[in-house]
Amino acid sequence: MKNSLIWLCLLVTATMFSQEKYSVSGTIKDGKNGETLFGATVYLKGTTNGAVTNEYGFYSITAPKGTYTLIVSFLGYENVSKEITLDVDQTVNFEIKEASTSLETVVIEAEESERVNIRKPQMSVSKLNAATIKQMPVVLGEVDVIKSIQMLPGVTNGGEGTAGFNVRGGAADQNLVLLDEAIIYNTSHFFGFFSVFNADAIKDIKLYKGDIPAKFGGRISSVLDVRQKDGNSKNLEVNGGVGLISSRLAVEGPMFNKKGSFLVAGRTSYAHLFMPLIQEIKDDKISFYDLNLKTNYEINENNRIYLSGYFGRDIFDISKFIKNRYGNASANLRWNHVFNEKLFSNLSLIYSKYDYRIVLDFIKLDWVADIKNFNLKYDLRYYASDKLKLDFGVSGITYDFNPGEVKPTDPSSSINFRKLDQKRAFEAAAYISVEHELTDKLTAQYGLRFSTFSRLGGQVLSDYANNQPVVYNDEIGIYEEGEEIGTTDYKKSESIKTFANFDPRLGLSYQLNDDSSVKASYTRSVQYVHLLSNTVSVTPVDVWAPSGRYIEPQKSNQYAVGYYRNFKDKTYSLELEAYYKNVDNRIDYIDGSDLIGTNNIETEILNGEARAYGLEILFRKNLGKFKGWFAYTLSKSEQRALGGNAGGPGINRGNWYNTPYDRTHDFSVTGTYDFNDKWKFSANFVYQTGRPVTYPNGQYEYEGLSIASFDERNANRLPAYHRLDLSAIYTPGKNKNRRWQSEWVFGLYNAYARRNAASISFTQDFDTGVNEARRLSIFGSVIPSITYNFKF
Amino acid sequence: MKKYIKLTTLLMLFIVLISCDDKIDIDVPEAPPRLVIEASLDWEKGTTGNNQTIKLSTSTPYFDTTLNTSVIGATVSVRNNNSGAVYNFVDQNDGIYTIDNFVPVINDSYTLTVIHDGETYTATENMMAVTPIMNPTQSLEGGFDDEVLDLTIFFDDPVDEENFYMVSVKEEGDLFAELETQSDEFTNGNTQEEFFEKDRDDEDETAEYNPGDTINVKLFGISQRYYNYITLLVEQYDSGGDPFATIPAEIKGNCINETNEANYAFGYFRVTEFEQITYTFQ
Repeated sequence: MKNSLIWLCLLVTATMFSQEKYSVSGTIKDGKNGETLFGATVYLKGTTNGAVTNEYGFYSITAPKGTYTLIVSFLGYENVSKEITLDVDQTVNFEIKEASTSLETVVIEAEESERVNIRKPQMSVSKLNAATIKQMPVVLGEVDVIKSIQMLPGVTNGGEGTAGFNVRGGAADQNLVLLDEAIIYNTSHFFGFFSVFNADAIKDIKLYKGDIPAKFGGRISSVLDVRQKDGNSKNLEVNGGVGLISSRLAVEGPMFNKKGSFLVAGRTSYAHLFMPLIQEIKDDKISFYDLNLKTNYEINENNRIYLSGYFGRDIFDISKFIKNRYGNASANLRWNHVFNEKLFSNLSLIYSKYDYRIVLDFIKLDWVADIKNFNLKYDLRYYASDKLKLDFGVSGITYDFNPGEVKPTDPSSSINFRKLDQKRAFEAAAYISVEHELTDKLTAQYGLRFSTFSRLGGQVLSDYANNQPVVYNDEIGIYEEGEEIGTTDYKKSESIKTFANFDPRLGLSYQLNDDSSVKASYTRSVQYVHLLSNTVSVTPVDVWAPSGRYIEPQKSNQYAVGYYRNFKDKTYSLELEAYYKNVDNRIDYIDGSDLIGTNNIETEILNGEARAYGLEILFRKNLGKFKGWFAYTLSKSEQRALGGNAGGPGINRGNWYNTPYDRTHDFSVTGTYDFNDKWKFSANFVYQTGRPVTYPNGQYEYEGLSIASFDERNANRLPAYHRLDLSAIYTPGKNKNRRWQSEWVFGLYNAYARRNAASISFTQDFDTGVNEARRLSIFGSVIPSITYNFKF
Repeated sequence: MKKYIKLTTLLMLFIVLISCDDKIDIDVPEAPPRLVIEASLDWEKGTTGNNQTIKLSTSTPYFDTTLNTSVIGATVSVRNNNSGAVYNFVDQNDGIYTIDNFVPVINDSYTLTVIHDGETYTATENMMAVTPIMNPTQSLEGGFDDEVLDLTIFFDDPVDEENFYMVSVKEEGDLFAELETQSDEFTNGNTQEEFFEKDRDDEDETAEYNPGDTINVKLFGISQRYYNYITLLVEQYDSGGDPFATIPAEIKGNCINETNEANYAFGYFRVTEFEQITYTFQ
């Protein structure tokens, strides 16, 4: 490891000695609303010197002394150029305008980097902007970020009504989901029907399926980086929409004498307002809402402050039985500082929290659980030379896990007060990543992330006989809880266990010609926190747990290669990728494990491993009246857990078995067609191999009941999942020349009323005693929707 | 506890959604038949417990409706490991093996031996005691639904030990009983309660409990190992593959095949004390 560090330093310094060079840097903004533009290309005409703007719209280019034409190009915007004389380091800011001939240019892929970037080594990444997402057909008219990324190759989820998403055969907890850098622990409202991201407040999203840059860490499958809009710094703007399920309103405008701007966006469902009208459900209350806030202030050219926040809630009250509340809250205070033309920095202080509460009146139980974290991070980008760019930084995260508190709701309750152990941890990391143009054709991105994770004391842990929290019972062939022989009390100042890891990242891109390239990457990553869930779907009650004495951090190695090509002047693009990854320390649950209310999770798990591999094809049409893409994934995802320290063969007799996220084939097409000024149509089609499940292989009678017997885990499959969605957007003609802009969105979800099985259950008919298979379909019919959107 | 949380997640799923549920034909794998030992030596409080029955059968493919799977000609015996007394059960030639001089002793250890097809199966279990059922109470307010009748029973949990219970409830005329389990994990030393209620059904107006309906409630004191076994069994029976349930797995009881380990038997050898009440709704 030491050697590779030295090697890294040598490489970096070697390229720094060169002829007399100067830098030009600045910020690129949208001329209409002042939003900074992420992913715009800035280059010096006639040279290979160029840069792509970062998340804050910042760019920097270094070139030998001379006179150049600086060109800014961003798909959907007019190209802008400016003559510069590079004889001194300088700042040049641009405000660029959307291209005026509307129809041709209001393109789905409004941004350069949604298309294939041939040159950059970064691979396995997909970017979508809010405009693209808003055009895709959706359930009940609710624009949904999480659903839209499932149209990309390598991304699936458990089906309708299940939260989270799975990337390249990974579990939902292996995704790092960031909203303005704050960790979001639960991505859905209504148990998976709608995502927590309000599209009116979102600027763009970026999904890294592999080749994760060194600045990200802590999750091993993917990073979903969601950025909120900064707010219009030119004019006051109001966006809103009225749909079947919810209504939205977003207000943005300039502040501080146009030195800054703000955005306030709210969304709420309102089914609960009508519920009292219906007799059967008059006491019920089902709703969700969320609130996004963002403001920024430009102190001067080199300093800018951002404050963003999110608060979301789900309310689920079913008259007498349950009261249920859950949601995320986050806040982020950021300071952008430009040291000089070559050095850009950002300091962030982030807070995020997810909490869950359930009150069960009929058994007089009140359950509260939460996870909180503070994160301080400092990221820097150094544009060392035209051939070399460096990203480096540090971060520290404190975690507070409160896995649950159970209390009686009143004195007559038979429930005893009980609090599961609070857990605390601290994660620290430092990284450096270099983008290095080795030759005209070959560019490399190499980096290293070093992280440590300390599970902090202040709690009591159980000790087990032979240090075995789980023991194989040889006699009857099952795993059981180990024998507790005592406890260890860890003081608050003590660390229970500390882990340290070096994660190397490497990416290479070789440009075959102007339109095509091949890339390869290797990513090692480590994950210290785990979502404990032994059910097929992620549910809001699932508890997060840190690594420690009994749970090891998950570690993954991913290898990927790809071929990228643009056709016909970038009208079409093709991405082909193949990947292989393996994961160490993927825990799995022993047969019959009970996680709810369990303090000693270690008695329910075995340490296992997982592996996944696949081939992904993404073919896009980026320009013209018809735009869209076609995605296909062929993949495999499996895991196993051997007995190890607990003895015995392991789960599923130690054999490999399909993970619930395994989909052999996953095929999707999405497209939009601009028919004319008034009408725009779009469609999605999805086909997927059914989810792995375990079917019974026999029955026997016990206690008068017909009991199903089961054998191999996840060896069977639900029927294939497929679905077609359609939508039409109507823009009234009277929109022209007036401030009030409106549109109607009509949608049909599940257009041919396919009854996709969410599950198949095997039950004994209560009246006849005969066994039967029953299919549960979340949507058994076509789901129509209508939404009215406005803007002024 | 688990049961309730499961229930809520399920409720959420079903109530919010425009979901639909239908019966379908589906191919399932078929495993070769396996011996099923249903050896439940249950001693009712206030009786001698001399009469006991053990049932032997085999498993069948899941959708098979011919349930003639009785195992006859096996040798079945139970030994009290404390006293050394051996009880040989008599083959009734219909899969039932009986005895009329069994002597139950609380906390004694018993070993079952079954010899079938040249293979010997054994299992060992301690006899568990149970506390009495107290004042069964009928109401509308208890349970999930305030508009249908429910019955609640109470029993005192001993504070000094971990206790595990199984409750079986069956309405007269029903095909089978419903089983529930309880542990004192969250409620140690308190008065426990358990309610019984039946859901309304649009197609059958008498589905819920009505005045005049008679139900039989049994409360068993069970061992922790049996609690783990039966809880899992009931859970898999009730949920049968819903997306919020755990992945179903093979459930192994305590009957070991001494001759051929892989060919273990389904079922369980339990030795329990129980109390039962019969209640007619007013």
